[in-house]
Amino acid sequence: MTGSLRRLWAVARNTFVEAVRNRVLHVSLVFAVLVLAGAPLLGELTVGEERRTVVDMGLWGISFFGVAIGIVLGVSLVYQELERRTIYVILSKPVRRWEFVVGKYAGMALTLLALVALMVPVFLATLWLVGAAPGVEVVKALVLVTAEILLMCAVALLFSSFSTPVLSGVLAFGIFVLGRLTEEILALADKTTLAGSEWALGLLAHVLPNLQLFSVSGRSLDGAWVSVHGTFVTWGYVGTVLLYGATYAALALGLAAFLFNRREFS
Amino acid sequence: MAIGETGADLALRCEGLSKRFPERPRDVPWKHKLAAWLGRRKVDAVTDVTFEVKRGEIFGVVGPNGAGKTTTLKMLLGLLRPTAGRAFVLGHPVPTVEARRRVGYLPEHPYFYGHLRPLEFLEMCAALCDVPRAGRRRRCLALLERVGLTPALDRPLRKFSKGMLQRVGVAQALVGDAELVILDEPLSGLDPIGRKELRDFIPALRAEGKTVVFSSHILHDVELLCDRVALLINGRLRAVGTLESLLSPKVLSVEVVFSPVAGDFFARARAAAEAAGAAVAVRGERAAATLPGDEQTGALLRALLDAGATVHQVTPRRQSLEDHFVAEVGPAHRTVESEP
Repeated sequence: MTGSLRRLWAVARNTFVEAVRNRVLHVSLVFAVLVLAGAPLLGELTVGEERRTVVDMGLWGISFFGVAIGIVLGVSLVYQELERRTIYVILSKPVRRWEFVVGKYAGMALTLLALVALMVPVFLATLWLVGAAPGVEVVKALVLVTAEILLMCAVALLFSSFSTPVLSGVLAFGIFVLGRLTEEILALADKTTLAGSEWALGLLAHVLPNLQLFSVSGRSLDGAWVSVHGTFVTWGYVGTVLLYGATYAALALGLAAFLFNRREFS
Repeated sequence: MAIGETGADLALRCEGLSKRFPERPRDVPWKHKLAAWLGRRKVDAVTDVTFEVKRGEIFGVVGPNGAGKTTTLKMLLGLLRPTAGRAFVLGHPVPTVEARRRVGYLPEHPYFYGHLRPLEFLEMCAALCDVPRAGRRRRCLALLERVGLTPALDRPLRKFSKGMLQRVGVAQALVGDAELVILDEPLSGLDPIGRKELRDFIPALRAEGKTVVFSSHILHDVELLCDRVALLINGRLRAVGTLESLLSPKVLSVEVVFSPVAGDFFARARAAAEAAGAAVAVRGERAAATLPGDEQTGALLRALLDAGATVHQVTPRRQSLEDHFVAEVGPAHRTVESEP
């Protein structure tokens, strides 16, 4: 293992241990599992549509709790290092600041992957309870949901590199909401007659992460209707979106590292 | 920068280090808040500080609160960027990874990851210092034993007392086998036993070939430990050098302790001491005669012995670091306090 990788892994491992020993995370996980486990009860209300309800509820639950926890981790863990002054110990060692930022993100990403890995079996169990099989479409949707969670965590970490946790959380949540509305923002840009607003809305839609790419079920894609309950996206599409997400997250982390590099610790 | 340019025998060299901070809007009067918000108001925390520390020295940085000690140390570690000046650690310019590789640092009021146990924390620090995986655990366990934390291996750091955290801090500063150890207020908040242990530890580091730079308010400890000191006041270097060069060798007073303290005998002894110019005070079963200066010491001793006294102790008192500190800091502080 090279020096950079060793140091990066040391930061990542510590971040992962810090997160998994956090009681708030335990409570959130229990709550997420309860919501997911309750999906079959909701399915009972929709006679004949149990599978659809359980799949939608399960994917929504994993996405919602994953993104929420990802944002909380992203905005709080770096800030805590500053607040508790543990950063002095880390950055006084032969660690480059970008190694710290990427290591922090790697630790958060590991935590989020572990969370998803804990929520997915509950989701699969609820499917089994209603007598349904997950199918490859559900697997593709889960991959996309996980990628979206990791992307939002990177965005939250970017904000936390220059702002307070509350403001970072608000900004990251705002990005999440607007990112899920990028097509609508582009449509609004086409229709608007206000001077300059077409340009501004177009710029906004292209700067924001296009989270609709990750939540594509129930939408028209290249003129064809795609749904996790019917004809869904191809693996090629999933790969392209993963590449998009990885590029966006890398840019966010690069910017976070740049901003963090300029910070002083008085 | 080659080592030769900064001197092969130097562990640390600071050349005109200065740090200017933007003033926080909440710290300024209303009429200046806008200027502070716009970053136009600055405050000089450290100005033109130049000193050198030789390899193997124990070097103390002393000064009152707000003198710029911690700011100076943080600039040496790259936690703060100097506004002007430069510094070198063992010939490597600051801030670089190569410079930090040679430094172990204990921050003031250390707080470490409460969720970790001491061995986990130390292993993480060792990995950050590029200590090879093979032998990492053995090294960390040996360090924890050295600072007396072996009995607390199973306890998370959040349950550690201040003194125990300070020991963890010392261990993490040493885990990378740094040549230069920088300790920021290592003795503050420790009980007498903890202070004694750390006081014994610092010379042991020097015996291992390390250079130690530490800041402290506890001047007695600085005087006991340091080869040289730098005195910072209001962000400026007021003095730097060996204690012998900074402190006056002149004897300020001499104290002679004698007994007994009752009867005619004591009245005679007291009169003889006072005739020699000493002030006499009774302390339990003994009396202390204090002379201003040492010129009359012989006369006082003769007078006391002639009166039949038993002399127990003769203590000349020279200028201490505290005397020097108070003399230097007092006027500077009064100047600051009298500013509008």
